[in-house]
Amino acid sequence: MDARTIGIVANPASGKDVRRLVARASVFDNREKCAIIRRALVGAVNAGARSFAYLDDSHNIAGGAFKEIGKDCEVVVVPCLKTSSALDTIHGARNMREHQPVANLILGGDGTSRAFVKGWRDAVLLPLSTGTNNVFPVLAEATIAGSALGVLAADGVNKEEVVRSVKIIDIEIEEEEGDIALIDAVVTNDQFIGSRALLNAGAIKKIFLTRAEPISVGMTSVGGLVAPLSEEEDAGLYLILDNTGSINVTAPIAPGLYDKLSIKSVERVKFNETIEFKGPCVLALDGEREREIQRDQKVKIRVGREGPGVLDVEKTMELAASRGFFT
Amino acid sequence: MVAKKKTENSNGPSQKILQELHRKMVRIRKFEESAGKMMEDGKIPGALHLYVGQEAVASGVMQHLSNEDWITSTHRGHGHLVAKGGEFKPMFAELFGRSTGYCRGKGGSMHISNMDLGMLGANGIVGGGPPIAMGAAFSNKFKKNKNVSVAFFGDGASNEGSVHEAANMAALYQLPCVFVCENNGYGEYTPQARHQAIVDVADRAAGYGMPGVVCDGMDVMAVYEAAGEAIERARNGEGPTLLECKTYRYYDHVGVRGMGLNYRSDEEVEEWKNKDAIEAFEKRLLQLGVMTKKKIEKVHSSVNQDIEEAIAFANDSPYPLPEELLDNVYNEEA
Repeated sequence: MDARTIGIVANPASGKDVRRLVARASVFDNREKCAIIRRALVGAVNAGARSFAYLDDSHNIAGGAFKEIGKDCEVVVVPCLKTSSALDTIHGARNMREHQPVANLILGGDGTSRAFVKGWRDAVLLPLSTGTNNVFPVLAEATIAGSALGVLAADGVNKEEVVRSVKIIDIEIEEEEGDIALIDAVVTNDQFIGSRALLNAGAIKKIFLTRAEPISVGMTSVGGLVAPLSEEEDAGLYLILDNTGSINVTAPIAPGLYDKLSIKSVERVKFNETIEFKGPCVLALDGEREREIQRDQKVKIRVGREGPGVLDVEKTMELAASRGFFT
Repeated sequence: MVAKKKTENSNGPSQKILQELHRKMVRIRKFEESAGKMMEDGKIPGALHLYVGQEAVASGVMQHLSNEDWITSTHRGHGHLVAKGGEFKPMFAELFGRSTGYCRGKGGSMHISNMDLGMLGANGIVGGGPPIAMGAAFSNKFKKNKNVSVAFFGDGASNEGSVHEAANMAALYQLPCVFVCENNGYGEYTPQARHQAIVDVADRAAGYGMPGVVCDGMDVMAVYEAAGEAIERARNGEGPTLLECKTYRYYDHVGVRGMGLNYRSDEEVEEWKNKDAIEAFEKRLLQLGVMTKKKIEKVHSSVNQDIEEAIAFANDSPYPLPEELLDNVYNEEA
């Protein structure tokens, strides 16, 4: 398959966890996810894309969307483990990589993009929000997002013009496989991964951020309301929380949910500067409890710009229009 | 006091709760394995639908309920009753059809109930429980108490009109009711993909007008946390929730070996067994220092002992007399 393939991945589990109860997060049923892909496909095909590869997700979301694709399009079904866990996306990304799509439409929240990048580190993504804390996904109507993907696939723009590498948090865990986060890595004193959501702000002990945005929800807002840090700046933000902290902030830690946090220190972290700590703790990555760290187990965290590429929809469309691509 | 001690990772339930959750799951597993063996050996009459594999769901939900809260169960109901506080002796006696059983030997496996524990009954009718739970929730709201009701049902039952009607009415009247769908992937022998066009039953919640949540039914803490939030909402008058727990039954639809139908692969069963809720929980409890290997073994051996005694009790108990056939069948006060 040539280099102009577009990859498509939908996370069936996004937008359905306990944060529908704890917070006031949106529910994304799988019909809506399917509809989003269908709209994106229409946009992509209208811009000239003719080659697609989709991950054969356990709920047939992407497969359902491709039912109406034109016969002039080449479609590859990429195998999926179907474990109904993040492993599906991680392994799916590895499988997708074999088809070398020029960019990948990812439907989910921050955690879905994180899982995809775990499987394919230097992929180009266009993440659309169907999750809970959607800092990483792009806010764009699916039709236009699909159109931007189509423009890229049809060589209306060059990748170098419209794709920017984003920051990433690399996590080393002693005697275990490491991990990553795209937006936030949070240390909590939870006992279990359990329902995955961060249910109690009082359990949060440390927050590492690639970006601290006052206009977003989730952990990024905690830093964002105190010491904003944009995605463009080459640095991370490290917050230590403590009951006796001198900085008190009430932040939207989830959609429709504010909580009080007491911050002891806020520090900008240079690229590749390593911060170390030991367990016991639970690590929450991009909004979900993911790793249980044992007593005295060492963890090292650093921020850098070796993350995936993200397609800039607005820039892509403006450049293409200015070059007469659509006329 | 050990019971109230928290682990070093302090956010979460007390050691006492963690130990109770563990014990509940072990009790269900061992009860069901023993009952299944006796059914296969012809010592228990009739059919048993065993709950082995799904222990985390009943245990995680029931940990939040008291005897004043009501539940309705399914044809796979032993686990629900054990988790709600059911004692082995009257449970085995009921399965043996003896007069010392919870229903004096007249209910058997599929109609076992106990009002004192808030267990409104297992139910042989697929989808029969939710309307009863909804009615109980209505009475709780009418009485202005803080009690809730929980309806357990499966993915197969989720297609039944009775479930839709109960969910609709519960949402309409904002009743303190939690609908727990134990999605084990099969309606009897029919894979879910062949009986409904959706994969997440929780997707239907929006249509009823209530929140829908999906959780890992093989992780007792995931169920405990999600059910805790749903039950708290119900108690606070915020209305019903549809909680879908993805789970799996290790044994066949009926009994252990079942009817020998070729509807799922051994590999699939093994994959799910690799996610076993009890094994995973025991591993984590050891890591947290909540339990030692010795303590875990002690739980297992004491439950084994309880089962032996309960089976002996049931075996020694008399059958109901023929002249008692219609006693306690109808509520004459009503």
